[in-house]
Amino acid sequence: MPRGPRIHQAERAEPQEPLLAIKRIWTYLSRSKWTIILTLFFVSIDVILRLVAPFLLGYAIDHFLIETDPIGLIRLIILLALVYLVNAFASWFQYFLMVGITQKTIYRMREDLFAKLHRLPIRFFDQAQHGDLMSRLTNDLETVSQTLNDSVIQLFSSVLSLIGTLVFMIYLSPILTLVTLTIVPFLYFGMKWITKRTRAYFRKQQQHLGDLNGYIEEIIAGQSVVKIFSKEERVISDFEEKNADLKTSGYYAQAYSGFIPKLMNGLNNISFALIAFVGGVLALNDVVTVGVIVTFTQYSRQFTRPLNNLANQFNHLLAAIAGAERVFEILDIPDEKEIVDGDHWQKIDGEIHFDHVSFAYDEDEDTIIDLSLYANPGETIAIVGPTGAGKTTIINLLCRFYDPDEGVITIDDCDITNTTRETLRKQISFVLQDPFLFNGTIKENIRYGDLNATDQDIVNAAKLANADQFISKLPNGYDTILSQEGGGISQGQKQLISIARALLADPNILILDEATSSIDTVTELKIQDALSTLMKGRTSVVIAHRLNTIQQADRIFVMKDGQVVENGTHQSLLEKKGFYYELYNGHFEDNVG
Amino acid sequence: MKKAFSYLSSYKLPMIIAFTLMLVELSVELSSPLIIARIIDDGIRVHNLQEISHWGIILIILAAISFAAGIMNSFLSAHVSQSFGYDLRQATFSKIQAFSFKNLNRFPTSSLITRLTNDVTQLQSIVHMSLRIGSRAPLLIIGSTVLAMLVDWKLSLILLLTMPILILFIVWITRKGVILFHRIQHRLDRVNNVMRENLTAMRLIKAFLRSDHEEDNFAQASMSLRDLTIYTLRLMQISGPVIMVVMNLSILVILWLGQIQIANQASSVGEVVAVINYATRTMHSISMMSFILLAFSRAQASKDRINDVLTEEIDLIEGDQTIDHIKPTQHQLVFDHVSFSYPNKEALILNKINLQVNQGETIAVIGATGSGKTTLFQLIPRLYDPTAGEILFNGQPLQALKLKNLREKIGYVPQEARLFSGTVMENIRWGKPKATDEEIIEAAKAAQIHDTIMKQAEQYQTMIGQRGVNFSGGQKQRLSIARALIRKPEILLLDDSTSALDLQTEAKILAAIKSLSCTTFIITQKITSLLEADQIILLEDGEVSARGDHHTLLKTSSLYQQIYQSQYGEEVNENA
Repeated sequence: MPRGPRIHQAERAEPQEPLLAIKRIWTYLSRSKWTIILTLFFVSIDVILRLVAPFLLGYAIDHFLIETDPIGLIRLIILLALVYLVNAFASWFQYFLMVGITQKTIYRMREDLFAKLHRLPIRFFDQAQHGDLMSRLTNDLETVSQTLNDSVIQLFSSVLSLIGTLVFMIYLSPILTLVTLTIVPFLYFGMKWITKRTRAYFRKQQQHLGDLNGYIEEIIAGQSVVKIFSKEERVISDFEEKNADLKTSGYYAQAYSGFIPKLMNGLNNISFALIAFVGGVLALNDVVTVGVIVTFTQYSRQFTRPLNNLANQFNHLLAAIAGAERVFEILDIPDEKEIVDGDHWQKIDGEIHFDHVSFAYDEDEDTIIDLSLYANPGETIAIVGPTGAGKTTIINLLCRFYDPDEGVITIDDCDITNTTRETLRKQISFVLQDPFLFNGTIKENIRYGDLNATDQDIVNAAKLANADQFISKLPNGYDTILSQEGGGISQGQKQLISIARALLADPNILILDEATSSIDTVTELKIQDALSTLMKGRTSVVIAHRLNTIQQADRIFVMKDGQVVENGTHQSLLEKKGFYYELYNGHFEDNVG
Repeated sequence: MKKAFSYLSSYKLPMIIAFTLMLVELSVELSSPLIIARIIDDGIRVHNLQEISHWGIILIILAAISFAAGIMNSFLSAHVSQSFGYDLRQATFSKIQAFSFKNLNRFPTSSLITRLTNDVTQLQSIVHMSLRIGSRAPLLIIGSTVLAMLVDWKLSLILLLTMPILILFIVWITRKGVILFHRIQHRLDRVNNVMRENLTAMRLIKAFLRSDHEEDNFAQASMSLRDLTIYTLRLMQISGPVIMVVMNLSILVILWLGQIQIANQASSVGEVVAVINYATRTMHSISMMSFILLAFSRAQASKDRINDVLTEEIDLIEGDQTIDHIKPTQHQLVFDHVSFSYPNKEALILNKINLQVNQGETIAVIGATGSGKTTLFQLIPRLYDPTAGEILFNGQPLQALKLKNLREKIGYVPQEARLFSGTVMENIRWGKPKATDEEIIEAAKAAQIHDTIMKQAEQYQTMIGQRGVNFSGGQKQRLSIARALIRKPEILLLDDSTSALDLQTEAKILAAIKSLSCTTFIITQKITSLLEADQIILLEDGEVSARGDHHTLLKTSSLYQQIYQSQYGEEVNENA
C-alpha cells in the first residue's frame, strides 16, 4: 500500500504549538465553565484558609500562651477548628468537582475520536501506521487525562499559594521574608543543574530500556529457535551487555533525580535555621514575636512546596499538551465526502459493469489502466493474475473504499457514485482473506451479517457453510467466545464462520477474496463446498486462487499490470494458449505423479 | 534456588551505610523542634543572644550535614537498587534460557516478558524507595511521637490516640484503592481493545454497515470507565482532608492543654511549640504512608511472579553419548509407540505413533490442524519429551544423547520464520557459528534467496529488524531455510516452510535439499511437495491413519484422493 500525507509522528515530548492546543482543550473544558469557576472558588478558599491557619496559630501562641488567657484561647480554638474544617472540605470538594470535569471532558474527547474514526475514508486506514494511531487513541489520551486531573488545580493553587504566602509573610515581617527568599536563587540554579543532567540520563535510560525490552521480546518469542540452535549462552551474554548499559544510565538518572528532594529538604532546613536564628535575634529586639517565628516556619514550608510543584508540573504539562496535539491532529482530518441526496435502490438484479476505469493509489504508479469488465446477474466471474496485477483494487473500487480516477462503475446501469455508500454496501456481502472475526461469541459473529436474524437463522446459515458440524462439537457450541489468540479454532474454521456470516446477509452481490493461506486440507474441502453453495444465484466477483473456483466460473478476467489481457471461460482461455495458459501450467510442475 | 530478594545480600554494606545516612537525615529533622524550643525558652524568653546564635549555628550545621548525608544516600541507594535490578534481570533471563519447553509452557510468552521488565523494575523501585523515604516516613512518625512524649508526655497523649487511628484509616483506604484501580485498568483495557478492533476491522465495519452498532458498543464501555474513575478518584481524595482534620484538631487539643500546663508552670512555651511542631511534621509523613503501602503491595505481587520463575524446577535429563560415536543401524530414526500430551492436559496429541525412517529418506506429514504434526517435529530435537514410548536414533534413545550434540545435527525450519535483529549474514550464521562467508552464500543459494539478498542495498550486511521487518513472508522463510541448511544437518525438519513460495521456487529448494542427502521431514499441505517423498504420513487426531508413498495412498486412501482432486482438478488416474 502506498504512503500518503503523513501526520506528525511518534513520541514527542514537546508540543509544537502549545497555545493552540491549550485553546482547543479549553473548548472542551468550557462546556463545564460554571463548574470550573466554582472549583476555582473553592481552591481560593483552600489557599486562603491554609494561610490564615498558621497566622491564627501564631497569634494564639503570642496572646494566649505566653500570657495565659483561657477564654480568649477557647474563642480562638473554636475559630481555628472552624477554619480547619472548612479548609478540609474545600480541599476535598475542589477535587470532587475537578474530577467530574476532567473525566467528562476525556469521555467527550474519546467519543469524538471514535465517531471521527468512522467518518474517515478507508484511504486513511490503509496509509496510517496502526501503532502510531493506537498510541494516540490510548496513551496520548491517558496522558492528557491524568495531567488534566492534577495540573489544572495544582497550577492555580500553586500560583495563588505563592502569592498569598508572600503577602502574608511581608505583612508579618519583611526582614524574615527576605531571609526566606534567599534560598530561591539556590533553588533555581540547583534545579537547573540537576535537571540538565537528569534529562540527558533519562533519555539514555529510556533508550536502553527500549533496546533491552525489544531484545527480550525477540528472544522469548523465538525461544524454540534459540534452543534448536543451542544459542542459550550467546543470548545470555548479549543480554548482559544491554543489561549493563541500562544499569549505568539508570544509576546516573536515579542518583541525580534523587538530588531534587534532598535539595528541597536541605534548603528547607537551612531556611528553617535562618528563620530561627534571625528571628530569634529580631525577637530579642521586639521586632517580631515568638508567634511570628512559629508562623513563619510553617509559611516557609508552604512557600517552597508550590515552587517544587510548579517545576514538576511544567514537564507533565508539556507532555500532556503534546499528547493533546496528537489527538487533535486526528480530529482535524477531513471526513469522507458523501453524497447528500443519492439514488434509492430497491431490489437489484446484480449486473456489474466496469467501464474504462483507471485508478492509482499514488500519483506516480498507475494501479489500474483503462479496465473494463462485466458480470451478468447471478454469474460468477473470476479475476486471476500475478501478485500486484490490481485484483484487490477492483474490490476496493466496487465497494467504494476508493473511487476511480477515470471511468464509471455501474450496478444495474446505475453509477455507484450516485448513491450513498451505505445504500451500495447494503447490497454486497464479503468473504475476505482475513475473516475479521470479533471478540465475541460465534453466534454474535455470524449475526453480524444481519442483526435482526434469529438463532435459528444463524444455525441454518452455519449448516449451509459446513460450519455447524465443528461448532456443535465445541464445548460451548455457538456461545464459544472467539479470542484474538485463536482460541482453539483454526484459520480454516474461521473462514467457515465468515462464510456463514456472508450467507446470513444474503446479498445480491458477493465479493470473495480467496487467499493462499495454509489451511489444512480437510477443512479446505469443506470451504470449497461451502463457497459453491454461497455463490449460487448471486453475482459473485471472485479473486480466485483455487482451481475449483476458476474452472467453474462463468467468465475469467485475466489481469496483468493493471489491465485485463484476456477473458473467457477456462476452456476457451486454455485453447488460446496465451498468458492464462502459461499461468495455469506454471501452477504445476507436471500433471501426473 | 535463589529467590528474588536474596540477590540483595551482596550489597549489605552499601545498604547499611545508606540506611545509616538516612538515619542521620532523620535525626536532624527530629532534632530541630527541640532546638527551636531551646531557642525560644533559653534564648528569646530570657533575652540571651548567645544562646540564640549558639543554637542557630548548630541548626545550620545540622542542615548542611543532613544535605551531605542526603546526597551520599542518593548515590548509594541508586547503586544498590540498580545493581540489584541488574543481578535480578540477569538471573531471571538465564533461568528462562535454561528452561525446557515443558517449563516454558507454564508461562505465556507475554507474562515472561512482563516479569523480566515490569516486575523487576517494581522490585528495583521498592528497594530504592526503602533506602530513602520508604523507611524514613514510618520512622519519622514513630520518632516524632516518641520525642514529643519525651518533651511533654501529657500533651502528647492525644498523638498516641490519633496516630493509630489514622494509620488504620490509611491502610483501609489503600486496600480499597488497590481493588478499585485494578478494576479501572480492566475497563480501560476494554475501551482500548474496542478501539483497536475497530481500527483493524474498519473495512468490514464499513462494508457491513455496522458503525452505529460499534458506536453504541463503545459508548457503553467508555461510559462505564468514566463513571468508575470518577467514583474512585473522588473516594481516594478523602484521605488528605481526613488526615488534615484529625491532625489539626489534635493540635488544637495540644494548644488547649498546653495553655493549662503553662498556667501550672508544668511546661514552657518552647515545649508546647515543640510538640506542635512534631505533630505538624507527622501529618505530611502520614499522607506519604498511603503511597508507600501501595508500592509495597505492588512489589509483593511482583516478587511472587519473579520467584515463580526463579524457583521453577528444570527436569531435563540428558545422557553423554555423542552422535558421531554411534554406529548407524538399519533405521536411523524410530518412533516406538510414542504418545504425547501437554503437561497438565489430558488430551492426547499423539497416540502410539510408530515410525521407521532410514537415513536420507524424505518423510512428508500431512493432516488437519491440531492433528499433531508440529508436535511430532518438536519431539525430535527434544523440545518436548514423549509422555509414553521412546524415540531412538540409530538404536539409542534420544535421552541418552548429549542434548547440545543432538540439536547440532538437526536443522529446524519452524512454521513462522523467526529471525533476529542483526545482519542477514549474522542470521544465517546462527546455523553454524564458525561458517565462512562462502558457506553462507552457498546455503543462501540453495535456499533460493541469494539473488534477493544481492538486490538489497547492503546485500548480506542488510539489517533485519525485529522479526525481519523488511522482508516478505516468503523471503523470511527462505532465510530461515538457509539458516538450517548451512549446518548440513543429519535431520532436516521443515514445518510448512514453503507455504508462501510459488511452485517453481519450492521445487528448486526441494531439489537442493535432496542433494544434501539428509533425512528430511516435511510438513506441507501441497500435494506437489509430497510427490517425491519416500513415505507420506497422514495424521488424524494424533494417529497415523495412512502411510505409504504417493501412488500407494492414491490407491488406498479416499481422503488422500479427495485432497489430490481438489488440488489437481481432474479425475484420479489410477494407472498413472
